[in-house]
Amino acid sequence: MSVPALALRNLLRAPPPLRPLLLTPHASYHSHEHPDPDPYPPTESAILAAALPHVPNHGFTPTSLRLGATDAGYLDITTNLFPSPAFALVTYHLTTQRLALASRVQFPAEEPAANPRDRLRTLILTRLRGNLEHPNILPRWPEALALMSLAENIPASLRELAFLSDEMLFLAGDTSVDSSWYSKRASLAAVYAAAEVFQSSGSGEREVEGFVERRLEERGRVGGFVSGVGEWVGGEARGVLDLARSLGWRV
Amino acid sequence: MASFVPRASKRLRLAGPSSPSSWVCNDCRRTFASSIRPRQQQQQQQHHHQQPTPPHPSQDDKTTHFGFETVSESLKAGRVRDVFSSVAANYDTMNDLMSLGIHRLWKDYFVRSLNPGIPPSTTSSPRGQKILDIAGGTGDIALRHLDHSTTINNDHKTSVIISDINPEMLAEGMKRFASSPYKPTNRVSFLEANAEDLPTIESNSIDLYTVAFGIRNFTHKQKALAEAFRVLKPGGVFACLEFTPNLSNPLLNAIYKRWSFGAIPLIGQVVAADRDSYQYLVESIEKFPSQAEFAGMIRDAGFLIPGHNSPGEGGLEGGWEDLTMGVAAIHKGIKPA
Repeated sequence: MSVPALALRNLLRAPPPLRPLLLTPHASYHSHEHPDPDPYPPTESAILAAALPHVPNHGFTPTSLRLGATDAGYLDITTNLFPSPAFALVTYHLTTQRLALASRVQFPAEEPAANPRDRLRTLILTRLRGNLEHPNILPRWPEALALMSLAENIPASLRELAFLSDEMLFLAGDTSVDSSWYSKRASLAAVYAAAEVFQSSGSGEREVEGFVERRLEERGRVGGFVSGVGEWVGGEARGVLDLARSLGWRV
Repeated sequence: MASFVPRASKRLRLAGPSSPSSWVCNDCRRTFASSIRPRQQQQQQQHHHQQPTPPHPSQDDKTTHFGFETVSESLKAGRVRDVFSSVAANYDTMNDLMSLGIHRLWKDYFVRSLNPGIPPSTTSSPRGQKILDIAGGTGDIALRHLDHSTTINNDHKTSVIISDINPEMLAEGMKRFASSPYKPTNRVSFLEANAEDLPTIESNSIDLYTVAFGIRNFTHKQKALAEAFRVLKPGGVFACLEFTPNLSNPLLNAIYKRWSFGAIPLIGQVVAADRDSYQYLVESIEKFPSQAEFAGMIRDAGFLIPGHNSPGEGGLEGGWEDLTMGVAAIHKGIKPA
């Protein structure tokens, strides 16, 4: 059977509500050959970019967005383009900083990931430095954290955090495909989130570096412990199964 | 309320059996009888009122729907005008009864989410916004626009043009504004016009174009959208509040259809002594395009759809906002620069 016919058969086997998911044209994987499409259409991007410089004065508020819209040559009312104006500013900052990471940090491709922890440390610190890119945005960052913790924004915030940790692990050259895929991303996200809260509480750059270093060390220790426990549980389970079989049970 | 009773009893006695035309709902397989009088009868009545209309749509004349009836395009605007002429006097009472008062919440939310008016702190030259409220005859959206811009944004310059095809509805609006504080301020003006053709309004002159529960009555919706695109400034906003033909939840949809086809014409009959107009209202809701289709029409007119292009979303999901489980929806479009 030819490949397209097989693909069609697989598609038709899926329940109808799932079919659009299988047909989605957007690639859900990283590709070096195909650059990601711009996350924001030009109008949104122009307004949001013009609004960020107003954040130090007006915070992550609809007022900043209004000023950005008029600066970009639009009208006050154009802010209706954003269903949630304040949070749109936050996600814009997060998304642009995440995508900028790939151009700011480049590791030699040939060398195998000898020390992934150092790479992750570099990536986290680079990303945290992105929060300092616009002067005086950092004192307003607790507002953004507060907005992200609102119930209606939590899913989008967590998704953005997951994208960030995924991006970092990808850039660090992590290619694992086992169950540690999830635990690595979750623990890295936790480390980053903690570091960002620490950074926004007014700590200096050296203190932040020390904080990140300590968290990564803990992560390594916890990760080792978790995988050790996992191995032990797996071994014991196999032993119990073998014991049951030796007793003649059909398992 | 007491004044309705004689009219209502009269109407109830006069109400004949339902007409032969009926229609089957695609979703719940239920037959709904249309009690809009058949065309000939309607035309006799129009003749009686000395309103000469062509007796039959000619062969090459394009047709459109008027409720579940098919009428020629040239007739629809006039018939919609007749419907709203007859409901104008108790339009607001009827809206309260039909939507159980929820239409006020929808309209409040609609205007609040649009946030009209320019706060003086964010602009150096206060000039206000120009708002065009289409099909806004009774002025309830316009009044909310002015209240919001004045009290929330402290903007005393923003003005509203209320446009309606129907002079009776505009008269209701004038009556309402006569007792409002905006009467002497020149901030509100009235325009009797068909929204498909607004020759008196300059291109690129309007900041905000709103149409609440009006666009489903238009004969050529795409033409009205194109006209909206023309009059809006670059960056201006098209916003539409409209009923949706079907709720997403099939069970709620069945209940909702019972309500709209069973109760609303009856309420119209009892309160306004006018079953046909209210039957038309619910049938026109049924004929209106779904949210996704209508968002597509707005995009086809050249507007940007908010939230549509945001990352992680595909198709036309998220280009509108459902209200009250999807009974009504807010659509927005932004004219690109």
